Amino acid sequence: MQLKLLVLSASSIVLWLTPLTALDKKISWHKAIQGLSLVAGITCAVSAGNIARKLAPELEIELIKERAITADIIDEIGTSAYVSQTQRQQEAEQMLNPREHLERALALTYGEDGELESERSKQLAEPDAERSQNAESERAERALQLKAKGWGKAKIILELWGVSKGGSEKYKAAEAEYKRLVGE
Amino acid sequence: MMKAMYLANYFVAGCIASSLLGWIASLHPMAFRAVMFLLAAIGIFWVFGWLLDYSISQFLKISVQQLQAVLASVLAILIVGLGVFVCS
Repeated sequence: MQLKLLVLSASSIVLWLTPLTALDKKISWHKAIQGLSLVAGITCAVSAGNIARKLAPELEIELIKERAITADIIDEIGTSAYVSQTQRQQEAEQMLNPREHLERALALTYGEDGELESERSKQLAEPDAERSQNAESERAERALQLKAKGWGKAKIILELWGVSKGGSEKYKAAEAEYKRLVGE
Repeated sequence: MMKAMYLANYFVAGCIASSLLGWIASLHPMAFRAVMFLLAAIGIFWVFGWLLDYSISQFLKISVQQLQAVLASVLAILIVGLGVFVCS
């Protein structure tokens, strides 16, 4: 189609200029050929114009498609780069100590502000408290199981707290905790 | 690119048409008068086109710039087409 367009465009110009310059206006048949070639030239130029007019939107759509594809590719590359960077960052964070990570996060969040120190320490203490609470509930469960089996108090304290019966402070503390956990 | 191509082709078609007008004018004195009358009419419409460009653009529902481009192209077409015929 584009070849036809080029041929028609070129032939219209040739049909316009060649007879006018090459032929003599005084000879009648030359003049007739000039007229015919001018009419033919108009026809060719109008046909070429119509073809180009029809092709213009199609080529524009193709151009838009190409631009969209290019934009997609650029976006994909950008996304993959961002994802790999995030993955590296996550791996680096995982390599750090969780406690240290928390400290870093808190330091980033609150900076070096002294007023928030207590809040930071509280937040740092939260996992410890949770852990001790878990240990306590496990110990209570185990103590109840042993008691159900018919174990004695002194034996359970020895098993769970590692303190033998006596008047020591450790035993007293363990006994108090045992009573609290078992609900005696 | 294609838009420029089709505009160029229509421009060439207009140039050839104005050369054809010159050729018709050279056939007979009466044809010459008729072509002169046609050119005079085109000239009058062309001048009125420039004078009433805003009204005409609203009537034709095209922008003023487009109308002015068409008027300038018509002048260029006539000059090129008739110039080629006269000088050849």
